[in-house]
Amino acid sequence: MEHGMEARARLLTRRHFFGRMSAGIGTAALASVMNPGLLNGAEAAGAEGGTPGLLRTLHFAPKAKRVIWLFMSGGPSHIDLFDYKPGLRRHHGEELPASIRMGQRLTGMTSGQSKFPCVAPMFEWRQHGKSGLLMSELLPQMGRVADRWCVVKSMWTEAINHDPAVTFIQTGHQQAGRPALGSWLSYGIGSENQQLPGFVVMISQGSGNKTDQPLSTRYWGSGFLPGQHQGVRFRSQGDPVLYLSNPPGMDDPTRRRMLDATGALNALAADSFGDPEIDARIAQYEMAYRMQASVPELTDLKGESAATLEAYGVRPDAKDGGFARNCLLARRMIERGVRFVQLFHRGWDQHGDLPRQIRGQCSDVDRPTAALVEDLAQRGLLEDTLVVWGGEFGRTVYSQGSLTKDNHGRDHHGRCYTILMAGAGVRAGLTYGATDDYCYNIVENPVHVHDLNATLLHLLGVDHTRLTFRFQGRNFRLTDVHGDVVKGLLA
Amino acid sequence: MPSSILSKFHWLGWALALPALLSAAAAANAARLDFNRDVRPILAEHCFNCHGLDDRTRKGGLRLDRAEDALKGGKSGHPAIVPGKASESELVKRLRTTDPDDRMPPEEKGVPLTDAQRTTLERWVAEGGEYRPHWAFIKPEPQPLPTVKQAGWARSPMDLFVLERMEREGLAPRPEADRATLIRRLSLDLTGLPPKPEEIDAFVADPAPNAYERLVDRLLASARYGERMAVDWLDAARYADTHGYHIDSARDMTGWRDGVIRAFNENQRYDQFTVEQIAGDLLPNATDAQRVASGFNRNHMINYEGGAIPEEYHAAYIVDRINTTSTVWLGLTVACAQCHDHKYDPITTRDYYGMYAIFNGVPENGLDGRNGNAVPVVRLPKAEQAAESERLAALVRTAEARLAGPPPEVQEAQRAWERSLSKAGAAWNVARLAKAESSAGARMEQQKDGSWFVPLPAAAQENYVLTLAPVDGPITGIRIEALPDDRLPSKGPGRYDNGNIVLGEVAATADGRALAWKSASASHSQDGYPVAKAIDGDLATGWAILPRAGKASSAVFALAEPAPANAGPLVVTLQFSPSFGAHSLGRFRVSVTSDAQPQDAADVPEPIRAIARLEPSARTADQDKEIGRHYREQVSPVMRRLRDEVAAAKKARDDHERLIPTSMVMAEMAKPRDTFVMVRGQYDKKGEKVGRALPSALPGLPGGGEADRLALARWLVSPQQPLTARVTANRFWQMLFGNGLVKSAENFGTQGDLPSHPELLDWLALELVRTGWDVKGFLKMVVTSATYRQDSRAPRTLYERDPENRLLARGPRIRLQAEFLRDLALSASGLLDDRIGGQPVFPYQPAGLWEELMSREDNDAFTAQKYVPSKGRDLYRRTMYTFIKRTSPHPSLSNFDAPDRQVCSVRRPRTNTPLQALALMNDPTYVEAARHLAARMVGAGETAEARIASGFRRVLGRLPTAKETAVLARLHQEQREVFRKDGEAARRLLSVGDSAPTPGDAADMAAWAVVAGAILNLDEAVTKG
Repeated sequence: MEHGMEARARLLTRRHFFGRMSAGIGTAALASVMNPGLLNGAEAAGAEGGTPGLLRTLHFAPKAKRVIWLFMSGGPSHIDLFDYKPGLRRHHGEELPASIRMGQRLTGMTSGQSKFPCVAPMFEWRQHGKSGLLMSELLPQMGRVADRWCVVKSMWTEAINHDPAVTFIQTGHQQAGRPALGSWLSYGIGSENQQLPGFVVMISQGSGNKTDQPLSTRYWGSGFLPGQHQGVRFRSQGDPVLYLSNPPGMDDPTRRRMLDATGALNALAADSFGDPEIDARIAQYEMAYRMQASVPELTDLKGESAATLEAYGVRPDAKDGGFARNCLLARRMIERGVRFVQLFHRGWDQHGDLPRQIRGQCSDVDRPTAALVEDLAQRGLLEDTLVVWGGEFGRTVYSQGSLTKDNHGRDHHGRCYTILMAGAGVRAGLTYGATDDYCYNIVENPVHVHDLNATLLHLLGVDHTRLTFRFQGRNFRLTDVHGDVVKGLLA
Repeated sequence: MPSSILSKFHWLGWALALPALLSAAAAANAARLDFNRDVRPILAEHCFNCHGLDDRTRKGGLRLDRAEDALKGGKSGHPAIVPGKASESELVKRLRTTDPDDRMPPEEKGVPLTDAQRTTLERWVAEGGEYRPHWAFIKPEPQPLPTVKQAGWARSPMDLFVLERMEREGLAPRPEADRATLIRRLSLDLTGLPPKPEEIDAFVADPAPNAYERLVDRLLASARYGERMAVDWLDAARYADTHGYHIDSARDMTGWRDGVIRAFNENQRYDQFTVEQIAGDLLPNATDAQRVASGFNRNHMINYEGGAIPEEYHAAYIVDRINTTSTVWLGLTVACAQCHDHKYDPITTRDYYGMYAIFNGVPENGLDGRNGNAVPVVRLPKAEQAAESERLAALVRTAEARLAGPPPEVQEAQRAWERSLSKAGAAWNVARLAKAESSAGARMEQQKDGSWFVPLPAAAQENYVLTLAPVDGPITGIRIEALPDDRLPSKGPGRYDNGNIVLGEVAATADGRALAWKSASASHSQDGYPVAKAIDGDLATGWAILPRAGKASSAVFALAEPAPANAGPLVVTLQFSPSFGAHSLGRFRVSVTSDAQPQDAADVPEPIRAIARLEPSARTADQDKEIGRHYREQVSPVMRRLRDEVAAAKKARDDHERLIPTSMVMAEMAKPRDTFVMVRGQYDKKGEKVGRALPSALPGLPGGGEADRLALARWLVSPQQPLTARVTANRFWQMLFGNGLVKSAENFGTQGDLPSHPELLDWLALELVRTGWDVKGFLKMVVTSATYRQDSRAPRTLYERDPENRLLARGPRIRLQAEFLRDLALSASGLLDDRIGGQPVFPYQPAGLWEELMSREDNDAFTAQKYVPSKGRDLYRRTMYTFIKRTSPHPSLSNFDAPDRQVCSVRRPRTNTPLQALALMNDPTYVEAARHLAARMVGAGETAEARIASGFRRVLGRLPTAKETAVLARLHQEQREVFRKDGEAARRLLSVGDSAPTPGDAADMAAWAVVAGAILNLDEAVTKG
C-alpha cells in the first residue's frame, strides 16, 4: 500500500492525476480513502478500481455480483397477477370461510367489515413459455420472458401495514433504526466503481393509486452503519445526485482551478498536521469532481439506440411515469459496477378501485421489466446480475368495501404473496411454494422475508449469519437471529 | 460565576495536594491481573458457551461465569478453581493436558487458546482466581493518583491519568497549541461557532495569567453554549419536528427544545435536569417548564398509518422510552430483555417489563400522529393569547347561559306550534322541475309519482340544482322527501353503500336572489345529524337519516319571508357534504306550500304529535320534556339562533386554541394500565402481570414502595448507582475529544468497549458527582487541562499508530458535526441570524425532495408534506433550527452524519465522502456564504494579502502562510481574468441565494467569491483542530 506522503507528492506533481478519467492514485490508497476506518489492514477485496467492503473474502463463490430490486411499493395483488386459482371463480361473492381466515389479524381498515366476500380476479389468465407459467393478461411482456422467472408464491411477512412492512423487508426489522440490504452490501462487499455509489435508489410514481402511501429515506438508510453506506437517490428532477452541478456562473475550468487551490492548501496542511484524514479529504474532492462528469454521462440516454428506448418504453416526453427510464438507468448502472440498484415504483396500494388501478400499474411496469431482463440477458449481464420484482406484502382475497359487478378493493395481506426473481443464481422457470385455494395461507415451502434476505446475501457470496456489525454491544445482522437460505430456489 | 469560584478553589486544592498524592500513588498499581480487563474476555469467548448462564447448553454441570460455581466444580466433583493453587485447579489441568479427551476447549469447538491466554488464566488462578463484577456495575471509588515522570506537565489530576498511560506507551504529550488554535477549538467546542477576528486578537494579546480561564468562562456564559449543548441532547432525545411514521406530519416540540437550551445556559445541575426530563410532571407543584421538560420521553415517533393497530404502536412507544432512557443514562442496551433474559448483562425480562410498567401510565393513544401534537400536551400560550383565551371562553359561557335559560317567548311559541299540530297539515303541492341537474353530471330521471331517481355511481362531491316551474301563489316552504328505491344500495334513499344521505346545505334563490330560511324540521333525523345542520351554513355538517335506510323521511324548510308568485324562477340547490362523500339522494321529491305555517304535521314524528294532542296539564314530566326538546332542537327559530351563537362562540374559541402552542408531555393516568410480560416481545401475546419496578440487579435501588417514574429518575442520579455519572462524563469527553474513554458511548455493559483509561473515567465520574453535577464546571475542568490544550499537529507516525487518538498524545482533531459546519459558513460570512429558539425554519433545499416521497394527491390534508423555503432572516438561522422531517431529513444534515432522529443516538459516525464535497462546493448555502465572505474580505483591506488574511482568520482562525497566500492570490488573479471576459458569469455567481447580489466590481468580487469558496472548502475549515 502506498503511503500517504508519497501519494500526496505524486498528487501534487503529477498534474494528470486531476484528469477526470485517469485512474491516477493507486487503488489501495483510494480504497482506504473511500472506506476510512473500516479497512484496518484488510487488503482489497473489490475488483480493480472498486471500493472494498469489510469482508476480505466472500464466504462463498458468488453467483450474483449485482442486484436490481424492482420494488413494487404498496403491495401488488398476487391474486390478480400471479397466483392462479381456478376454483376462486366459484367462490366469487361468497363469504371467506372461517377455516381459511383462522382469526387472522386484520388491519384497522377492514377489521370493522361485517362481510368478507371473496373476489376472483376480473382479468383473464395467459399461459406462457415452456413452463406454462400462468400470469394475468395484464402482464403480457413479463409473460413473454416467463422462462427466465423464478416465481416464489409463498413469500410471507408478519407486518400488515406499509411503514413497518417496507421497513421490514428493507432492513429486517419493523421499527426504524437498522440498515437496508443495500447498505449492508456496501458495508460488506463494497462497490465495484469508485465514481458511483454502491447503492442507488430511484423512485417513480405509478398511474394506479395516486394517494399511495409515502416513502421514507429510512427504507434505504444506513441505520447504525456509517453514513457513506446509505442509498444514494438518483433523481429525475434537478441534479440526478444532490449538489452535483456547479453553481450558476461557475464553469468547469473555474471549479478545476478552485480545486487545485484547495488541493494545494490541503496538501500543505497534511504536511503540517500529519493527519491522514486530510489526504482522504483531497481524494474525496477529486472523486466529487469526477462524479460531476461520470454521473451525467451515466444518466444521459443519448447513446441508447431508438430500438432500446422503444423496447423499454422510454418516452422522450418523460410522460411514462419514470419507471421505464429508471429500468434503463439501472442497466447502465449495473454496467458501470453499481452493486445494488433499487427502484421504488409507487401506486400498488389498491384498497378500492382495484381493477382500474392495477391495469394502470401493470401497464407502467410490464414492458420495462421484461425489456430489462431481456436486455441484461442479451448483454450477458443476467449471468451475474439478479433481478427481483415484488412488494412488501400481497392483498386479501376478500373485498375491501363493497363488491360490485365491476369494482372492488383489496386490503393488505402478509400471510402469503408472490415475488419474481430472474438471473444470477436462481432457477429459471421454477415456481416455488404454493398457497391454498383462496390465495390466503401458504400450504407449501414458506419463504419468510428473512429467508429471502438470507438467500439474496447467499447469492452474493455472503453468509447472512456472518455479515455483522457491532452496535450497542451486540452483533447485528440483516436477518436478526432468523432466516434460512432457500436452497430450492438456487440454480 | 459560582462555577468559576468553585473551580478556582479546586485548582488551589489540586496544586497543594499534587506532590503528596504523587508519592503516595507510587506503591500501589503492581501488575496484578484485572479480571474484567484480562480474564473475562477469554472466558466469555472460549468457555461461557458451554459453561455459562444458559442451562440449556451447559456441559458437565459446570458454570464458570460465577465464582461460587467455579469453586464447586461440575459433575466431576473437582473444583474448577482452587484459589491461589493453579496446579490443583481442574480448569488449569484441563488447559494444560495433552489428552485430547480432557483438553479444553475441545478441539471441535474451534479456536484453541493461545499460549498467552493459557498463561493469563493460570496466573489469574494463582493470584487467587478472584471474580469481579463487570467494571461498570461497580461503584467508582476514589483512587490514588498515578505517578508520572513528567509531573510538571499536568494542569489537573486528570492529566496525570492521561500522562501515565502515555508514558507506559512510550509517548510524550504534544506541546500546547498556539492561542489562535486554542480559541478556535474552544469556541467550536463550547459554542459551535468560530471565533470572530476581534475575539482572536483580544485573546492572543491578553497578558493576564488567567487569560485562558477567562476565555473559557466567557464562552460558557455565552447563550450560544446552550444551543451547542442542546444539539447533542436532541440526538439522544430523538427530537424532531415530525412524527416519523408513514405520513410523517408535523409536531411541535420546540417548547421542549428551547427548555433544554435554557437549562444548559442556566447550568441547571445535571441531576435536577435528569429528574425533570424523565419525570418533571410528577414533581410536587410542577411548573409548566418542568412538565414541558418531561416531554423528553414523548419525542419518540408516533404513528398514524390508516389501518395500523393502536396497541402495536403504543407498545412500540414504550419500548422506545425504555431503550432511550437506558441508553442515555445507564449506557445499557436493554432491548434484548424485551424477548428473553439478557445474555450478558444482569437485566431480566421481568426487569424490562417492570420498567415498561413505569412508562405505561401515560394517557396517550396508540395512533395519534396525524395533526400536530398528540395528547397529553401542556398549553403554552403567550400572554396576549392567554388573555384572548379568557375572553373567548367567557363568550362561550355567556352564550351557553342564554341557551340554557331561553326567553319566555320560546315557551309561548312552543304552545302556538303545538296547537298548529292539531290542525290539518299544510297543503303541499309536488313541484314540477323545469330543470334538474347534478353538478357531477349524474343523470336525473323523473318518476311517475313526481319524484326523481339518480343512478349510481355517486360522486364524492355533488350538488343537485333544481329549477322549479312557476307556481301560483307565494311560497312559504319547501319539502324534500327522501324516498326508498330498490335500485339503490340498501334500498336508499341515499346513494351511499348504507343508503344514507348527508344533506350538507339547502339553498334557495328567487330570480338569483338568495332566500333566507326561518326554520327546518324533519320527520326523522339521525342522532348528531339534525335537519337544522342543513341550513347552518356549514357544509361539513348536515342532515342524515340512519337507521331509516329503505324508508321514507322528509324535511321541511320554511322561508323567512314568503317568496311571491312573481318573484321569478325559484332554484333550490341541495348540497351534499363532501366530508362524507357520495352521501347524495338517490330518490327524492320536492314539494312547495303557500301555507302560512309550513311546518307539516306529517313531518313531526307521531309520538310528538300524540303528546301535542294532550293538554299540557295532562302530560307526564317526561312527555313535557320530550316535546320541549323536540321543539327546541328541531323547530324553534329562536333556539336555533341561540345554538348558532354557542356554536360560533365555540368555533372562535377553538380556532384561537389551535393557534396556542403546546408541547407534548408525560403524565400519569388516574388508574394506570395493567402491564404484562409480552411473550417473545410480542404486544399481543400477554404473559404474567407485572408491577412497576427498577432493574433488580443494578445497585443503588431505593428501598420500599412501588417505583414510579419519579423514583426511576431519582435512582438514575443517585450516588449509589454506578453508571449514570460515568456515562455522562464519557459523553462530554466524547464531545470534546471525538471518542469517549469508553468508545461505545451507548453501551457500558459487558459487551461494550472497555475504557481506554478506566481510572480516569472513574475519577471524572466522581468529580462530576462531587461538584454537584455542575456541567459547566465539569467542562471547564476538562478544557483547561493540559491534555485538551495539546497541539493536534503531530508526526504522521503518531496518527498512524493511534488513528483515533485513544492515547490522547495529541490534541483533538475531528471534522465538525453537520450543524456546526453550516453554522461556521454562515457565521464567517456574516449571514448568521442569532435568534435563539422558536419555530423551526426551512433553509434552501433542492426542490421536490419531500414531494417525491410524499406526493399524495390528498397531501393538503396533512402537514409537512411540501417544503416551502423560508424567506429572509429565517434562511440563516443556526442549523439546529432546521425543520427535521424524519422520513426526509435535510441533506445538509444527513450528508454529514447527523442522525435522522428516528431513534436515540448518543454517538455520531464521522464519514468523509464525495457527496459531502459536492454539498460544500455547490449547495447554495455555501456559495452564498462564499460571496458574502468575499465582500467582507474585500472590505478588510486593499491588498490581496490583507483580503486573504481576513478570510483565513474568519474561517480558520489564523493567518495564512506566504505559500498559502500565494496560491490563493494566483487563484484570484486567474479568476478575475476569466470573469472580466464573462461578466455575466460573475454576476450570476454573485446572485446565488436569496440575499441581494453582492455589489462592487463584479469580476473582482466574483473572483474573491471563488477564493472564499476555496477557503470554506479547506480541510482545516471543516475541522476542529
